[in-house]
Amino acid sequence: MAKIKGYPEALEAKLRDRYMYGDDAHPEFTDSVEKISMTIPHMCYQCGTCTASCPSAPRSSYRIRKFVRRVVLGLETEALTDPDLWLCTTCYSCTDRCPRDIAPTDVIMAMRNLAFKRDIIPVNFLKTVQAIYTTGHGVPNNDVNRAARVKLGMDADPPTTHTYKEFIPGIQKILDYYKLKANADRIVKEREG
Amino acid sequence: MEAKHKYAFYLGCIAPNRYPGAEAAAIKTSKKLGIELVELKGASCCPAPGAFGSIDLNVWYAMAARNLVLAEQMKMDIALLCNGCYKSIWEVNHKLKHHDELRDGVNEVLKTIDMEFKGSINVYHLAELMYDKDIVGVDKVRDSVTNPLTGARIAVHYGCHLMKPKKERDFKDQDLLNTEAPTWMEELVAALGATPVEYRQKMQCCGAGGGVRGYDIVHALDIANEKLINLQDAKVDALTDICPFCQLQFDRGQIEIEEKFGVKYNLPVLHYCELLGLAQGMSPQDLALDLHAISCEPFLQKVL
Repeated sequence: MAKIKGYPEALEAKLRDRYMYGDDAHPEFTDSVEKISMTIPHMCYQCGTCTASCPSAPRSSYRIRKFVRRVVLGLETEALTDPDLWLCTTCYSCTDRCPRDIAPTDVIMAMRNLAFKRDIIPVNFLKTVQAIYTTGHGVPNNDVNRAARVKLGMDADPPTTHTYKEFIPGIQKILDYYKLKANADRIVKEREG
Repeated sequence: MEAKHKYAFYLGCIAPNRYPGAEAAAIKTSKKLGIELVELKGASCCPAPGAFGSIDLNVWYAMAARNLVLAEQMKMDIALLCNGCYKSIWEVNHKLKHHDELRDGVNEVLKTIDMEFKGSINVYHLAELMYDKDIVGVDKVRDSVTNPLTGARIAVHYGCHLMKPKKERDFKDQDLLNTEAPTWMEELVAALGATPVEYRQKMQCCGAGGGVRGYDIVHALDIANEKLINLQDAKVDALTDICPFCQLQFDRGQIEIEEKFGVKYNLPVLHYCELLGLAQGMSPQDLALDLHAISCEPFLQKVL
C-alpha cells in the first residue's frame, strides 16, 4: 500500500477526540456494563430494531435503544435512576433480532446489577430474595395447594427444600456470601419501615 | 417396563406450589412415553432469572449451580417443565461449562457448602424431549392418546426463555431455533387430536417476566391483555403453555385484568402436560384443574 501523506499521525490526531464525554459521563460505566453483560453495546448503530421488537415500548416511555446509547456514552446516573430500567420483561426479542449481535437484554440486566449496588431496586425483587432465604422457594407452597396435592395422591409438600429443609442452610450460606439477605432486609426496612 | 430414559425432575416453584396437576401430569404422561422422572431432592427455586439476574448475576449463577450439583450427584440429566427454570438451569449450566472464570468463581462459593460444579450433566425441557424423535417424538405422543381432544381449537403460547435468545441455545433440532414463527408445539397439539390455531403476535411475551409483574402489574397485564385480545379474535377454546409462570400470568391474570380493565375472556389456560394428561385419559380431578383461576369446564365439555 502506498504511503499516505501524514499517515498514521494525521488519522490518530483525528481519532483522538472520538470519545466526546460530557461532565456527567463515566467511561468506566461503559466498561462495567460490558464486563457484566458479556456483550458489546459499543457496537450499536442505533437502528432501533430492539425498541421495535419490545413488548414494553408501545405501552410506556421505556426505550431500550436509548438505554444502550446511555451505556455507550457513559451516562451512568441518567441510566440507573430512570424508573423505565425496570420495565424490561427480559423476553429477549431484541437480543434475537439485533443486527449487530448485541444482547440488549443482558445490557439491561447488567445495568440493573449496577443500580442495585447503589440501592436502586424495586422492593418486589428483594421480597423474592427474602422468600427464598426462608423457604428455598420464590413462590412457596400454601394451604390450599397442600390440600390439592394430597387429593392428587402426592405429598403435601414437593420433594424440594419444602420437604428436605436440611438444604436450606446451604442456600442461606450462598445468599449470605454475597450479603444479599442483609442488604435486602435493610433496603426493605428503609422503604417500608 | 423399565423406562428407557431417566431424568432428575427439577420442579421449580409455580408448578408444585400453584399448579400441582401439571407436576402430576408430567410424571404420569412421561411414564407412558418411556421417560422416568426421578425426584430431585432438596432443589430450590431456580432462582427466578428476572429477579435474581437483575439483582446480582453472580448469586443467580451460584444458586442455579447448587441445583445442578444435586443432579450431578445423582449422575442424571435434568428434565424440567418451566421456561423460566430452563433459562436459569440450562443457561447457567451452559455458561459455567464454557467460562472457566465464572465456574471458578461459583465453585469458590459452593466450596463453603461442600459442593463443586463439575459440568457433567445436561438440561432439557420436557416439551423438547417430547418433540425429540430420539427420545419420544410426535408419533409416539399420538400413539399414547386414548381420549383425543377432537374438535378443540387450541392456541400455543411458547413463552420466551426456552428458545430465546436463540444465539445462546444449542438445540439439535432446527425447528426449535425458529423463534419468529415456530410450529413444533402445534405439531404436539395436533398429535392430541386437537386443532392448533394460529393468532396474531403468537411469539409475544406474556408480560410477567423480568420482575415486571411485581414491579408494575398493570403494565404486565396490559401485555397479556394484548395477547388475550388476539386469542379471542382467533376463537380458541383453550391456550396451552409450557411455562407455569406464563400460565399464572394468563390464568390468574384474567381475573386481575377483569378487575383492572373491566374485560372478561374466560379462556382456559392449560400446561401442555395437563393437556396431554387429559388426552391420555387422566380426569380433571387427577389434574386438579379446579385450582385454575379460570374454569376449564367449557373446554372440558368439548373434549370429554
